[in-house]
Amino acid sequence: MTSYLARRIVQMVPVLFGVVTIIFVLLRVSGDPVQLYLPEDASVEQVEELRRALGLDRPLPVQYALFLADLARGDFGESLRYRNQNVLTIVLERLPATLELASAALLVAVLISLPLGIVAALNRNRLPDAVASAVAMLGRAMPNFWLGIMLILAFAVHLRWLPVSGRDGFANLVLPALTLGTSIAALLMRLMRSGMLEVMNQDYVRTAKAKGLRWRRVVVKHGLRNALIGYVTVLGLEIAGLLAGAVVTEQVFAWPGIGRLAIQAINSRDMAIVQAVVILAALVVMTANLLVDLAYALIDPRIRYG
Amino acid sequence: MHRSAHDTFRRSRRRAARFALALLTALALGMSAHAQSTLTVAQTVDIPGFDPHDHGSTAVEAVLTNVFDYLLFRDANGDIQPALATGYEQVDDLTWRFTLREGVTWHDGEPFTAADVEFSLERVAKDDTLFEHDSFRQIVDVEVVNDHEVLLHTEGPDPVLLSRISRKGAAIVPKHVIDAIGWDGFSVAPIGTGPYRFVEWLRDDRVVFEAFEGHWRGAPTFERLVFRAVPEDATRVGELVTGNVDIAVNIPSQDVERIQGSTEAGVVSQPTTRIMMLLLNTADGKATADPRVREAIELAIDKELLIDVVAGGFGVPVGARVSPGVAAAPMKYYRQNAYDPERARELLAEAGYGPGELTVALQGPDGRYPGDADTLAVVQTMLQEIDVNATLETLEWSAYNGRIWGADNVENVALIGLANSLFDGWFALRTLPCDGTYAKRTNWCNPTFDQLLADAEFNLDLEERAAQIEEAFDIVVNERPMIALFQIDALVGVANDITWQPRPDEMIWAFDIQPN
Repeated sequence: MTSYLARRIVQMVPVLFGVVTIIFVLLRVSGDPVQLYLPEDASVEQVEELRRALGLDRPLPVQYALFLADLARGDFGESLRYRNQNVLTIVLERLPATLELASAALLVAVLISLPLGIVAALNRNRLPDAVASAVAMLGRAMPNFWLGIMLILAFAVHLRWLPVSGRDGFANLVLPALTLGTSIAALLMRLMRSGMLEVMNQDYVRTAKAKGLRWRRVVVKHGLRNALIGYVTVLGLEIAGLLAGAVVTEQVFAWPGIGRLAIQAINSRDMAIVQAVVILAALVVMTANLLVDLAYALIDPRIRYG
Repeated sequence: MHRSAHDTFRRSRRRAARFALALLTALALGMSAHAQSTLTVAQTVDIPGFDPHDHGSTAVEAVLTNVFDYLLFRDANGDIQPALATGYEQVDDLTWRFTLREGVTWHDGEPFTAADVEFSLERVAKDDTLFEHDSFRQIVDVEVVNDHEVLLHTEGPDPVLLSRISRKGAAIVPKHVIDAIGWDGFSVAPIGTGPYRFVEWLRDDRVVFEAFEGHWRGAPTFERLVFRAVPEDATRVGELVTGNVDIAVNIPSQDVERIQGSTEAGVVSQPTTRIMMLLLNTADGKATADPRVREAIELAIDKELLIDVVAGGFGVPVGARVSPGVAAAPMKYYRQNAYDPERARELLAEAGYGPGELTVALQGPDGRYPGDADTLAVVQTMLQEIDVNATLETLEWSAYNGRIWGADNVENVALIGLANSLFDGWFALRTLPCDGTYAKRTNWCNPTFDQLLADAEFNLDLEERAAQIEEAFDIVVNERPMIALFQIDALVGVANDITWQPRPDEMIWAFDIQPN
């Protein structure tokens, strides 16, 4: 197991390197950030001065080499907007907020999809199944952005049960977590349902049914374990989707996380920040997938890593 | 002692009632006290830090202006008032004397002196890596005469100096603090002389200030000042109508009715200095090379209708880049709509274009200014009304800036919005000379215009200067390297329980805000 773990961690390095290079090139090739920071009628001298001050007047390979050298020392460069501040600090400061939102959303997704999936499977092709499937489809179809604003209008503006936006306590977490969580709950619910249905056709279940035992209990216990492999796999994959969804959710709810930082940085070509966020996101996704793979060994005793 | 069940019941009910009453009273007191003593403002972005010489953004300065003071200060009417300087005098063409206010303390209790003025203004005047440097490079040196007197030396005669030092970029910062903790430290924990003192900054969420009792104007009314960053329009409006914020900026015009109809807040409109303009490429061979074509384009646009459609009526049509409160700006061009489609058609015919024979490319940003893409779409329709084919290209701002605007790559007509933070008419024209920033975009060059601007730049005779600037404006209006469309009104949501009129410089000066 340890050698497997070590191998996986070592594999992350070339992936990170690739990600870093791609983002570096894309950012510099896609447009000039200098003009974005100055007013529309800035003088030619102003533009040139700023370009020089930011080191953007040097040829691309030189910039790349310097960038890699800095990165090796843990220096992510200088932000165009947040002058005099360490880029890594800027990104890490906002990480807890996103982690909080993502965890809450994950919890919401599991709390919705698990019971709904089980209920749907146990009542296959009857009303509860249809309702659960409809709810799931609705959740998948509704855009994050729209759902968030609708929830704000309903629960914050009209009913005044919850705050509108910002991060100021548990109540502020409810609507954003719901918004973000429902988007991935649908797929997970379908997976849980189909995983359990597989089990329901097994001989031992039919035998239990015939014998008059509590076959539902049997189904749930065995079905869950069976469905979990697929469920957990997709959960791991969806974490990347959560990070992406967090960008929109954070914007709508004024949630001070990395998603908002990323949007702002991308719109203004704040290269150092975008680079740092992308590297961090890549790390998170790779770690999540690693954890998912390790979790298999727990769920299915047949799986062992050498 | 024996108590009947009934008595016990009655007693516990009374106790519960007293408790409930006490709780409600506490809540009511707490809520009303809160509403009186905290002012909350919702903006679209958070501040990047507290360096007042290095951010370049009006929205950020709107926050920082509560923490720092300038030497002189524009009041709500746009008139220049004493602030950290109680008096000024022009000694000669290149020298100004400023008498500094006595008895002013920084938020940490240390006294404000001339050394702070020298430190602050020389920094922004000399450090060319700072965003605000360009507006202060004219200041060569700040000479300390004594603790309460300084002499400002300028490179050439500077008719706009007073405007320069009363706006963003000119904040006075404490030398002793920055010498101790550096700009890195100061950026996140500022000390100023302003009416509000820094308390905490939760990144991308809120900045919190408290009243500074020792402020030289006196303590402000609101004990706490909070600026929140709420980027999404619908969310910001939601915060306003639920009473969670007292002021919300950048209200979309389609939400005005809803807010006015709510019990918590209303919407106030205030003219800004930002003018939506079209820049035209006059190079030979381009569709817009002929001045008659350019005139026809302007005459085809019904600017009043444009404002109604695009901005819900919140704006003023203009014939040039002028707005109220801008010095030396010829106001004869304010509130002007030259709409005349018949004349436009005549001009096109004179230029040799029959109906449908002229094609003009319209380019602009989408999402940079309120209603920008819509503006261009309406202009396209209006051009089609005079039988001109107009193609439309709207891009996200950084793409537009990178490929068209900033790349000097304007095909025929490009949309832009220009503000005037110096409140000066000369400033509005400075991009148009033959070697100016827009020269390669407009390909327009008029030596008479250049001479007028050069003469006015260092002309301390303000009346003569105004005449020169007016003449320069007249040339631009006649030759049309740029066409001015309309002045943008800012729509600000204001809670019904406070009294405040938004300022034309878009500063949110909390000291002036009073509860009803």
